[in-house]
Amino acid sequence: MSTIGIILNGERKEVPAGASVADLLNSVGAESQNVAVVVNERIVRPDARASMLLQENDQVEILVFAGGG
Amino acid sequence: MDSLRLGTYTFSSRLILGTGKFSSTSAMIEAVRVSGTQLVTVALRRFNSQQAEDDLFGPLSAIEGLTLMPNTSGAATAKEAIKAAHISRELSGSPFIKVEIHPNPHHLMPDPIETYEACKILAAEGFIVMPYIPADPVLAKRLEEVGCSSVMPLGSAIGSGQGLATAEMIRLIIRESNIPVIVDAGLRSPSEACAAMEMGCEAVLVNSAVAVARDPAAMARSFAKAVEAGFEARNAGLMPRSGAAVATSPLTSFLGAAS
Repeated sequence: MSTIGIILNGERKEVPAGASVADLLNSVGAESQNVAVVVNERIVRPDARASMLLQENDQVEILVFAGGG
Repeated sequence: MDSLRLGTYTFSSRLILGTGKFSSTSAMIEAVRVSGTQLVTVALRRFNSQQAEDDLFGPLSAIEGLTLMPNTSGAATAKEAIKAAHISRELSGSPFIKVEIHPNPHHLMPDPIETYEACKILAAEGFIVMPYIPADPVLAKRLEEVGCSSVMPLGSAIGSGQGLATAEMIRLIIRESNIPVIVDAGLRSPSEACAAMEMGCEAVLVNSAVAVARDPAAMARSFAKAVEAGFEARNAGLMPRSGAAVATSPLTSFLGAAS
């Protein structure tokens, strides 16, 4: 299977070519309703994650809420 | 208690809690529950597989009647704060945003210029904007004018426990403000929260004082009582202060009369 390189949370990562954003979330153990996803500075809503396919050099941020004042 | 109005929301609790620095998520959740708070702050961070079990969004969402107020901590500019606000609203569904822009890690003082620029844009986008600011009466008024729902002047530096160091400036802000003034940062004790409410603040935001206490849940309860006490006292009309004594008992001098 061929892979593509993306940048996930600031680090280079290889993912299978044709992987969707939803596939990526599954592979890192993220629960879709508890995370925000930003790809190339654009927010990707939960209902768009299964159909959005990752491209070479995509900058992906997976974000959660943490404690804060 | 009269309700606290922020944007379209009303709250019966006037204690806002921060969720950072607790020893565990369960300690934080217990403090939140026990305090009766209806509004808590949260921050955004990158997802980390190792920390997945430490999710607090799920447990917080399970508390009935609780609204989230994401903050923009980590942002150094208005642009970054606006980006954080958009992501936070997407994730939480809450229209609240605490605009918190503090580029210097030593003192964590808010940047007034970036804060103003961010607030202007976010207010126009329909957020309930709650700016964390230095206790500057002019800045507070400018933020009110661009549509902020409150102003949140600091009592002293975040986590410093120095208390209401800015008391006189906060008094000036309260005097001129048509929107709720909420002291945020630096409070250490419930008596300080009570004093802030007696002064005319409409709410207080506390994080470290509860999270770092030996018994956070008990401290949270204590703060809740103090905030109520201060609010009621203010409404009850505090007596005037005098330089001289003003007698409370009659001073008729019969005790020394010759018999």
